[in-house]
Amino acid sequence: MRTALLLVVLPIVCLAEPAVVIRATDLKQEPATDAPTVAALAENAAVDAGERKGGWTRVKAQDGAQGWVKMLLLRYGGPGTAKQGETGLSQMFNVARTGTSGTTVTTGVRGLDAEQITNAQPNAAELSRMESFAATKEASSGFAKRAKLQAKNVEYPAP
Amino acid sequence: MRFLLLLLSLAVTSAHGQFKLDFGRIVDTVKNVGKATKDIDEPEEIAIGRDLAARLLGAAPLVNDARLQRYVNNVGRWLASQTERPDLPWQFGVMDAPQLNAFAVPGGTIFVTRGLVAKMRNEAELAGVLAHEIAHVLKKHHLKAIQKGAQTSLAGEALSSALSNTNSEARAKLISFGAEMYSRGLDKSDELEADRLGVVIAARGGYDAYGLPAVLQTLQAMNAQDSAVALMFKTHPAPGERLDSLGDRMQPTLDAYSGQPQLPERFTAEAKAAK
Repeated sequence: MRTALLLVVLPIVCLAEPAVVIRATDLKQEPATDAPTVAALAENAAVDAGERKGGWTRVKAQDGAQGWVKMLLLRYGGPGTAKQGETGLSQMFNVARTGTSGTTVTTGVRGLDAEQITNAQPNAAELSRMESFAATKEASSGFAKRAKLQAKNVEYPAP
Repeated sequence: MRFLLLLLSLAVTSAHGQFKLDFGRIVDTVKNVGKATKDIDEPEEIAIGRDLAARLLGAAPLVNDARLQRYVNNVGRWLASQTERPDLPWQFGVMDAPQLNAFAVPGGTIFVTRGLVAKMRNEAELAGVLAHEIAHVLKKHHLKAIQKGAQTSLAGEALSSALSNTNSEARAKLISFGAEMYSRGLDKSDELEADRLGVVIAARGGYDAYGLPAVLQTLQAMNAQDSAVALMFKTHPAPGERLDSLGDRMQPTLDAYSGQPQLPERFTAEAKAAK
């Protein structure tokens, strides 16, 4: 919630995610193809990316120009900006770390690594529990209606 | 003399019996070879799916939160109702695992991990991921891969008993092979097809069609060395490549349905337990 508030109040601060555009493209004043062009961005131009609106993402170019580019043209973490994040392992270690000695106990840590899937034993009780949460077609239709979701006829693309 | 006659008749009978038995086996084998090449029918698909789902749940149980599980079932069931297989026993579950991943099991069982849900920003993103998995079920991607693998690893006769006898050794082999599929991954073309169909299914459900691309962009922004995405990255084309492919093929559909609801508030309220 606080993040959302910041987005509204301080949009410039939130243009913080480094990204590059994969093709030369126009920086648009509004998130629309027919909006005026603010600047031309070259292929691989580095930008700071912010919020998305429809198929458009707000960006700031290196010269400070701000506008919108097609979101599918953005790839995050441009050259030399690869992220060093590590969430999975540390999270699992946090769960498994016991006592003050800092000894890491790996037994009992479950999850979905390749090996864990291969060695898993069936859990029929959990499957029964899962079945108890299933929704009927009718219930889900009411659920969609409550959020004003409207079913559309959309064709699959040609294979 | 009478004894000899009895012995003789016994021998004849048993030879006859032997012949019948062999003949029966040949007929069975011929039938089974046919079975191995023809499609696994829907009840068999659902039964295989149950066995595989139980295996996956053995690796990671569900997040212990009924509200979250019911919510994901509502979103998923609504999407599945917009497809050509609306009446499968669809069920959806959030697994309690820190890794970012999602799985489709034949017959209509879909899993998404707590780790992946935690990275999502709205219901349209959840819908995009579920729709991608639903597409795998519609196209029977896993089922076909399992069947193909079974044909090379199990003889036709064994596949038949794997399908008819759920307690057989052949069944155990089939399910083990199937479970391994989830750590090896499908063909790249299957994943890219599921992305395209997933965009369409989410749009049919009335959601912002950019939900799936938005999740792919979140994944693309993550460090590929992060162990939380190791299996997902190993079993799927790189997120950047998936985004390229959607850009090439789906831009008009994406843009036509980009103004549909994203529902961030409902998502935040209902998926709290995954955060």
